[in-house]
Parts: sequence; C-alpha cells; structure tokens
Amino acid sequence: MLSADADSGLREGESFLAELAADLTEDGRFGIRHVRVSESAVTVTNEAGAIILNVPIADLEEAKNASLVSGGRLVLRTKSHEDIVAASYSLTRAQAFGELARGIQQLAKGEEFNVNLVQQKIRCDKCGRLLPEKDGVCPNCINRGKTMLRLGSFLKPYKKKAILLGVYATGSTALALLPPKIQGEILDAFNAGNREIGPLMQMVGLWALVLVGLASIQVLSGRLNTWLGSNLASDLRTTTYRAIEFLNLNYFDKKPVGAIASRVTQDTDRVWFFLVDGLPFLVINGMMLVAVAAMIFSINWLLAIMILAPIPLVAFISVKVWKPISNLFFRTSQKMARVHMHLNESLMGIRVVKAFAKEDNEYAKFKTRSEELRNANIKADQTWHTAFGGMTLCVTLGTVIHWAVGGTMLYRGQLTFGEFYMIHAYLGMVYGPLQWFASVNNWFSRAMAGAERIFEILDTKPESALDGGDVRKITGQVEFRDVRFGYDKSNPVINGVSFTAKEGEMIGLVGHSGAGKSTTINLVSRFYEPDQGQILIDGIDYRELDLRSYRNQIGIVLQEPFLFNGTIADNIKYGNPDATMEQVMEAAKAANAHDFVLMKSDGYDTMVGERGARMSGGEKQRISIARAILHDPKILILDEATSSVDVETERKIQEAIQRLIAGRTTFAIAHRLSTLRNADRLLVLDRGKVVEEGTHEELMDRKGRFYDLVQTQSAVNEIIGIGTV
Amino acid sequence: MHLFYAPEGRLRLTMDNRSYVEVVLAWASPLTYPGKYLSFLDGKGKEIFMVTDPVVELAPEVWSVAQGELQRRYLNGVVHKVLSTKTEFGSTYWHVITDRGEKEFITQSLQENAQWLSPDYLLIIDVDGNRFEIPNISGLDEKSKQILSVTV
Repeated sequence: MLSADADSGLREGESFLAELAADLTEDGRFGIRHVRVSESAVTVTNEAGAIILNVPIADLEEAKNASLVSGGRLVLRTKSHEDIVAASYSLTRAQAFGELARGIQQLAKGEEFNVNLVQQKIRCDKCGRLLPEKDGVCPNCINRGKTMLRLGSFLKPYKKKAILLGVYATGSTALALLPPKIQGEILDAFNAGNREIGPLMQMVGLWALVLVGLASIQVLSGRLNTWLGSNLASDLRTTTYRAIEFLNLNYFDKKPVGAIASRVTQDTDRVWFFLVDGLPFLVINGMMLVAVAAMIFSINWLLAIMILAPIPLVAFISVKVWKPISNLFFRTSQKMARVHMHLNESLMGIRVVKAFAKEDNEYAKFKTRSEELRNANIKADQTWHTAFGGMTLCVTLGTVIHWAVGGTMLYRGQLTFGEFYMIHAYLGMVYGPLQWFASVNNWFSRAMAGAERIFEILDTKPESALDGGDVRKITGQVEFRDVRFGYDKSNPVINGVSFTAKEGEMIGLVGHSGAGKSTTINLVSRFYEPDQGQILIDGIDYRELDLRSYRNQIGIVLQEPFLFNGTIADNIKYGNPDATMEQVMEAAKAANAHDFVLMKSDGYDTMVGERGARMSGGEKQRISIARAILHDPKILILDEATSSVDVETERKIQEAIQRLIAGRTTFAIAHRLSTLRNADRLLVLDRGKVVEEGTHEELMDRKGRFYDLVQTQSAVNEIIGIGTV
Repeated sequence: MHLFYAPEGRLRLTMDNRSYVEVVLAWASPLTYPGKYLSFLDGKGKEIFMVTDPVVELAPEVWSVAQGELQRRYLNGVVHKVLSTKTEFGSTYWHVITDRGEKEFITQSLQENAQWLSPDYLLIIDVDGNRFEIPNISGLDEKSKQILSVTV
C-alpha cells in the first residue's frame, strides 16, 4: 500500500476515468468512501476528502469484486500477491463496483478502460422516491395534467360522444337540483295558506317528469360512459400491445415479461376503471357541489357559509383517514394471499404431505395463517367502521348547523319553510359523496401512473426499419465480417467473428456455454444488430434489407419449441396461415409428425394446450419442425433440437431434420457434439471468437479445442451412463 | 490450528501440517442458529471443517481472527431502533438505527420481503437485496414496536 503525495492522487495532466461512492467504511459502518480511478492509480478518500488509500495501477495484478453477504468489497491484488481491500459496499452499489473492478483489471493488463458505470435508475431524480420499475416512471412526479391531456387525445375518434356525455352530466346535475326546489315551492304554497289540489298536482307532475328525465339521462349517460370508457381502454390496450410487438429485444432483456404484460392488462384496467367510475363520479359530484353551494348561497349567504363550513373538515378527514385504512385493507389482502399460497402449495403437494404423514403440521400452518387473516380483517373492518362513524358525525354536523341556525332564521321569519327544506335536501346531496373524494384522488393517481407507463412503451423506439428497405428473395449466403457485439456494450460477447456460410451449407456452432453460440444465431436472426462489423446476406449488409421480408425467410427450431394455444394444424401453418390441409399434412409427414397426429382423437384439430402443454417434448419438437418445413425458409436455425427425448424419438427427429435442412443454409447448435456429425463445417467458439473451424473429422484429427470438448463430453457421458459420443 | 492473514488481506489456515489459502468463513444457519455452526471453506469452496459452537471450540486467538473476518463478510444490519416508516405507492421507506449506524432503505412487496423467522424475529430485505435483521422485537423501544406493528 502506498500513500499519495498529491491531494487528489492524480499525476500532472491526468484526470479521473471513473469515480464511485462506496457506502460502507473500513470498520463496516454506514458511511461514504470515494473510489477514484485514473490511468495511474486507484485512490480512496474518506468523507472529509483525505486520501486513505492510493495504489498505483502499475503495482496491480488483479482487481475483483468479492461477493459478501448483503454486499461486497473491491479487492486489489498486487504483484507481490497482497490483497488490498479498497472499499466495502452494500448490494446497492455492488453492480457498479463489479464494473469498476473490471475496468481496473483492464488498466492493470494495459488495456483500454472500457466499462459501463451507468446504473439503471431506481429512484426518482426529483423526489427521491423509489421507482416501481427500474428506469420507470415516478407515480408521484408525473405531470398528471399533461398525461390527462394525452389520454384525452385518444378521445378524438369519439369526440361527438364525449361532448354528448358532457351534456348529459350537466343536464343530470341541473335536473337533480330541481326536486328540492319543487318540494320547497309546494311547502311554501301550503304555508301561505294555499289548499288547492290543482297547483299541487301540477307541481308533483313536474317533479315526476323531472325524475323520469333524470333517470333517463342517468341510464343514457351510464351506457354511453361505459361504451366510451371501454372503447378508450380497448384502444389503449391494442395500441400498447402493437407497440410491444415491435419493441427491440433489448427491451425484453431488461424488463421481466410479467412487468411488460401488466402494462397491457393492469395499467389499462386502472385507466379504464378511472374513466368509467372515477371520472364521472368526480365530474358529476364536483359540478353538484358547486351548483348546490350556489343554490344555498342564493337563498341565504350567511346560512350558506355556516352550514358549508364543515366541508373542508370532512374533506380533510377523508384524505387523512383514507391512507391508513387502505393500508389495513392492503394488509388484509396480503394475508389472504398467504392463505391462498399455503392452500395451493399444500394441495399441489398433497402426495408429499400424505407420504410424510405431515397433515397435522400443514393444518397448524394453515390455522396460523387463517388466524392472521382473521385478525387483519377484524382490525381493518373495525377501524373502517370507527372512521366511518366519525365521518358520518361530521357529515351530519352540517345538517345540525342548518337546523340550529336555519331553524332560528325560520322562527324569526328570515327564511321560509320551503327554503329551509330545500337547503336540508341539498345538504344530503353533497355531504354523502364528499366522503369518497379522497378515494377518487387515489384512483386518479393510480390511473395517471398507469397511463404514463403505457405512454412510456408507446414512446420507446421500435425495432429498426421493420418496413422499408430492400425486399428481395435471398439465396441464403451469410457472411460475418469482423462482427463485434455485446448486450451490454462495454462487455462484448462476440468479439471479431468472421466466417462465410455458403448457400445450403450446414454450419455447426460449438463451444462452452457463454462462448457466443446463441448470440451468433440471435445476430443472424437480426434480433440484435452488430455494434461493429457487418453481416452480409448474399453480399448485402442485412441492415439494408426489409426486416419483415428478411425474417420471413428465416426458420427457427428451438430447444424448447414454443407452441401457441390452438390446434396442431394452426401451429403448423403459423408462418403460412393460408396453407392448405394437404400442405400441412405434407409438412407433418416430412417432420415425422403425421402418424402420431393421426393417433389423436381429433387429429390435426387436437388442441395443443397453453404453450403446447398437452403434447410431449418429442411431439412438440416435430410440430415445430413441420412448422419450419411449411414456412420454407432459406436460412434455418436449429437450437439443440434433439435434446431431452428418447432414442427412438430422437431418430425420428433427426430424420425430419435431415429433410428440413436440405437446400437451406443452416446454423445448428448442439451440446451433444455427435449430433453435428452431418454438418458441413463446425465453428468452435470461445469467448466470442472463432478458435477452430473445419469438419468433424478434421477437427478430431487436429486434436485441438474441439477434440478436448468431445473427450470431456465422452468422459461425462460415461460417468452418467448415456453412452459415448 | 492457526488462522492468520498472509499475505495481507488473504485469510490462511494451517492445521494438521496442512495449509489452506484464501479461507472463507460461513455460518451454516445464521438466522435460525446465530453464532452456531461455523464452517471453514478452502479457496475452492470445499468445507475443511465445521465447529458447532465456535466460542467454546475455537482457541481464543483463532476465534478473535474469525470474528474480524465474519464482521467483514456479513454485512447485514441489525436494527436497534425504527425511527420511521412511510408507505407510498406500494413502497415502504424505512429510517432505522442499526449496529452499523443510521440507515434509510426502501422495501417493496413486504409480504415477501419481510420474513418472520419467529414471532419475535423479523428479517427485512430491501429493494437491492440488502438484509436487515430485527432479532428481538420485544426488546425494542415502544415507539419502534408501534411503528413495526403498523408497517408489517
């Protein structure tokens, strides 16, 4: 360990290449230590900025991120074999320090410092809150007005209906104000000594008409609102789904499928729920509040001020109480989920439970969880009833004030009996809905956050040039010209690969896991494009080709074939929906699938189940081969197509594959090296580079990397007794 | 048995005329049996031996070195006091005092990330996977207990 002469640990004219803050001190307490890396040294400073460690790069042999429990440490190994712990950190910083260690290692080896220290954002820059998804949207800081406006743009196709809905809302508010007014008029007429039945009946008739009108508007507006909200949600859902289909695969690498799927389902549901239930509630009751306040003010402003005074109190309590209560109900739902989880688990594992005679233990666990649910339920419901009681008291407070103050005014003749009654009726119309305003705010927040997450997908750049570019029939010659690629650009997985696959040639890709085999076929499929170098198809850079047309000429048979829920025939003609039944059967015969399909009760109409669950592994494999045969691709990708099936099925699949590859340029990956005997050429990959190339025999004679791989596999197979390669 | 650092930073064990470099110490069951079942592993992760009760079975000088190494390896925080928690938008923001000092951290899905190891022992895992233990809830101050009862 060396101490630094300069304050910064830098040499003259030198700058830092990277700087990271570790969040643990040398004695394991929470605190900040700054680790800075320059071309010449690794320097660590404490919170006061004093250098506590300075290790020259020239002295280093290795740098690594040593994993610990709940954290890690940056260990620098010197050429004299000392291990220096440069910094300790929690898991929050471990990933970044892993990258930094890689960068220091590069410097120690005399390579260029090339790391990616940009971490995915997990907290909001503005408010510091945790984001629900990494690099996602902060539900607290979204511009709700802007999001609402953008959501409104989806209303464009339904503009007239939206306006009509607004008219209905205004109409129903106006009509709802009339009955108390009519009732007040009747009472005032009675008080004035009027005992004629005719005018009374006229007023009651008017009242009945208003009620019919109000009910009609409510029915129409409810129906229209449901139609509009559902259409809007459906448009959002399909637009989002369409956008997801064309997202670059990088996006799927970063986000879990569940999180992406929830954008289409949960987020659109939240928006839908708000549009159908929340928004109308807010608009109608908001308008009602204003209108009622105006009516009461028009009758008597002093009384209005007094009886509306508790409104802010009700609103305040509603906001304050809603959160803890919703937390309690959230807890109840969590406890319910625990009960469900235990129930599912114990029922699915009932054989194991019985075999070990552990019924009593499972019962005890279930009872505990059930009691936890009971307690959470009691607490939530009791709190809810207590809070609701308090709220009801506040609500009735307005009425009590009205009876006290308004009653006095009535006695003193400052208010007519009709006016007194009208105010009483109006109060009932506003205080009730006020209790729910706070929950509407919550729906609104959730809906806007959901909408924002949807817009995030819509705004993500789609795959390059899906349409556009050269549409041409390819012959199938594939050339890699010094291709370099990394899923994370600082960490290349393919590192300068060059080869040419001639039209109709079968290329076997061989290597340890992580050697770059799957990445090579991902690049051929153009799921990703090279960071450097070119991939040429028939001598043309494939980025100039129309992506859709290019993909139409590629066929893929995966290790775990994916079948869609539908019939066997639907799955075989997935790539060619217009294929005839004869063509489907022809492909199935070539794939050795025809016979087993016929043995099924519904033949080609047999439903394969979700992800093909009702088919065996070998059946799924042959259906997927038939699908590829019918698709008639020029370039074919086989990824370990014969693993995990019995010998007879494997023979049938091999036969099918031989028919499939005839006349097509084929890239095949197989861990069982014997299955690649028929390949025209094998490329042995190691750490992203082609290290050997030749036929199976040539490579065996050469006794190089491939030979070693075969020997290792033979030894392993002998041990586990599945025969030698 | 001799446990020491040689060269600096690398734990080494010599016993029965054999020497093991880059020794790693690991608790076999740190949550259920804290302080028991300590395993000594060699540089390849293969167990050299295990002691059931290190305080009793290891020589004081060996235990002293082992304790230092364990302190460095296990970075879990033991919560002594819960100052506050706030739940918003499905995330819970914690402010606590631990054996390693004051700390703020965030958890999501408390159902999965707050695990009751016993009625009095809570393990909390934050969004980054960092672990915070509360081994004796009944021993906490009243305010901490009250906050915990509302939060988890």
